[in-house]
Amino acid sequence: MTLNNSLREMSAMIELETRRLRHDRTEIYTRAVQPVMWLAVYGTVMSHVRDIPTNGIPYIDYITPGVLLQSTIFVSVFYGLTIVWERDTGILKRLLVAPASRYATLIGRAVASGVRGVVQALIIFPVAILLGVKFIPNPLYTIAAFLMLFMVAGGFAALSMFVASFMKTRERFMGIVQAMIMPLFFASNALYPINIMPPFLQSIAFINPLTYAVDAMRSLMISGNVASIPADFVAIFIFDILIFTLASISFRKIIE
Amino acid sequence: MVLAIDIKQITKIFDNKVKALDGVELEVNAADVFALLGPNGSGKTTLMRILTTQFRPTSGNAYNFGIDLIRNDAEVRKMIGYVPQETSVWADITGFENLLIYSKIYGVPSGSRKKIISDALQSMGLEEPANDLVRKYSGGMVRRLEIACALMVKPKILFLDEPTLGLDPSARKAVWENLTIFKKEYGTTIFFNTHYMDEADHYSDKIAIIMKGKIVKCGTANDLKQSLRSEALQFGLNCNALDKTALTKIRALDFVRDVLFHDSELMVVIENERADTALPKVMEVLMMRGIQIERIAMARPTLDDVFLKYAGPITKIPECCHQIRGCGRQIRMCGHNDVKKN
Ligand SMILES: Nc1ncnc2c1ncn2[C@@H]1O[C@H](COP(=O)(O)OP(=O)(O)OP(=O)(O)O)[C@@H](O)[C@H]1O
Ligand SMILES: [Mg+2]
Repeated sequence: MTLNNSLREMSAMIELETRRLRHDRTEIYTRAVQPVMWLAVYGTVMSHVRDIPTNGIPYIDYITPGVLLQSTIFVSVFYGLTIVWERDTGILKRLLVAPASRYATLIGRAVASGVRGVVQALIIFPVAILLGVKFIPNPLYTIAAFLMLFMVAGGFAALSMFVASFMKTRERFMGIVQAMIMPLFFASNALYPINIMPPFLQSIAFINPLTYAVDAMRSLMISGNVASIPADFVAIFIFDILIFTLASISFRKIIE
Repeated sequence: MVLAIDIKQITKIFDNKVKALDGVELEVNAADVFALLGPNGSGKTTLMRILTTQFRPTSGNAYNFGIDLIRNDAEVRKMIGYVPQETSVWADITGFENLLIYSKIYGVPSGSRKKIISDALQSMGLEEPANDLVRKYSGGMVRRLEIACALMVKPKILFLDEPTLGLDPSARKAVWENLTIFKKEYGTTIFFNTHYMDEADHYSDKIAIIMKGKIVKCGTANDLKQSLRSEALQFGLNCNALDKTALTKIRALDFVRDVLFHDSELMVVIENERADTALPKVMEVLMMRGIQIERIAMARPTLDDVFLKYAGPITKIPECCHQIRGCGRQIRMCGHNDVKKN
C-alpha cells in the first residue's frame, strides 16, 4: 500500500469524524460540562485547603491542564465503543474490505479522535480563562500544549481500539475501560504532585502516559518551567508508536 | 477464459468445532450473475467473507480473476465491491456524506467525485433524501444506499450478501433492474446470497445450493429444475372418493412416479418431459370409471421445489406434491368430452 493511499484513507477517516461532529454539536457542549464543574467546584473548594504543595501556583490553575487532558482522554478511551458498534453492524466488515491498509484505517481514526479532543479542549479553554486561570501568554507554548493534547488523545483512542479488538461486547468493553479510567486519572500528577502519593501509586504514575502529558502541558501553559518538556514529548511519542503498532496488528482480528 | 471466482476445496472451521464450510468447490464465469442459495446457517455468509478477504479459510484457497485470495489479498480488495448482510453505513451522517467518504477511501479522483456520487444516488433513487441523516432512512433506503456505495466504485466483482433483505417487492425489482443495467454497462460479475428463490430464478445466470457447508447442486435455474426429473398433473374430479384399484392402475402406468388423491383433487407425478405421453393414459383410466374431469393443471417444478428437495427438511416430502401450489402452467379443459375429440 503506497503512502499516498494511506494518507487518503486517514484523511477520509478524519473527515468522517468531523462530519459526525458537525451533525451533533450538542455532544461536544454536554461533554464540556463535567470538566468545567471540576474546575469551578472542585478547583475552587480545594484552593482554600492549601495543603497540596503546588509550588505557589493557585490550585485551580494547577489542575487546569489535567482537567483539559481528562476531558479529552475520556472521549478517546471510549472511542473503541464506536468500533464495537461498527463491528456489530457491517460497517467494519465493509471498511476492511476496502482497498486501504488497516494501519491507515486505525491511525486515521485515532488521529480523528485526537482532532475531536482538541476541539473539546478548545471549548473548555475560554471557560478556564473566565474562571481566572492565568495561562502563559505565549502562543507557541499554547500550540505546543495542544499538540501534546492531540498526541496523547490519539494514543488513548488507539489504546481503546486495541481493547475493543479483544473485548467484543459492549458490556465487557465498558467494564474494562471504566476500570482503567480511575487509576489513569488519580494515579497521575493531574490533581496533586506525584511525591505526595504512596509508593505504589507513584510507580503506577511513573508508567502512566497521562503523567508526562500533564507535566508538559502544565509547564507550557501555567508554570513555564520547560526543562522536562523534551523528555515528556519523547515519552508520549514512544507511547504512541507502541500503541499504534499493537492496535494496528490486532485491528483486523476485530471482525473475525 | 479466466474465471471470475474459482473456489478450490475451501473448508472453514470456527473455534475448532463449528464446520461452517466443508470442501466447497465452485466456479463463477466472468460477467455472470451467480446466486448462492441455502438455509440459515448453511455457510453462505462465511463463504462470502472468505471471498472478500475478511478472514482466511482453514484450508483450501480461492482465486478472483486468477489472483490468489490468501497471498494477494490486497490486490483482491482493489477489484471487489461488497455489501454485507448487516447494515454498513454510518447513521449519524447523511447519505451523500456516506458516499463521499467511501469515494475518498476508494480514491475516486476529486474531479469526477460529484458526478459519480450523484449518478450512484440517482441509480438507486436516493437523490431526494441524499442530504438527510441516514438515521432517518427506512430499511429499504439504507439497503439502496449500501448498494449505491458498492456500485459507485465500479468493482470487477460485486459481492452482495442478501442484497434485497427487507425491501418491498417493488423496491426489490427496482434494485435488480438497476443492478442489471449496471452489469450490462460495466461487465461486472455479481455473486450474491439470497433466500428469495424468485430473485435467483429471474436474475441469475447460475445458481448453487449450499447445505451444511457443502455445495449440493450447481447449474442454471433450468438445469436445477430439470434435475428434479419430474412434473405433476393435477386433476379436479367431480367425485370425492376414488377406489383403490383406480389409484393402483394409474400408479402402474408408464412414467408415473407417484399418485396422491385428496378432496376431489388427484395429483399424478410424472417423469420429466413425459406428461404428454402419460396424460391420455391417466385420463383413460378415469374415464373408464365414468369419472368426470373438471379441470387439469400441469405444474413444472419451481426453484422452491429444487430448494426444498436439496436443502429442505430431512423428513422426505413426497416429491412434487407442493409443486402444484407453484405457478405452473395451467391447462384448462372443459370435461372429458372435448378431450375425446383430440
Ligand atoms: N464468526 C463466527 N464464529 C463462530 N461461528 C461462526 C461465525 N460465523 C459463522 N459461524 C457459524 O458458521 C455457520 C455458518 O454461518 P453463516 O453465517 O455462514 O450462515 P448463512 O448461510 O449466511 O446463514 P443466514 O442465511 O442465516 O445468513 C453457522 O453455524 C454459524 O453459527
Ligand atoms: Mg448469512
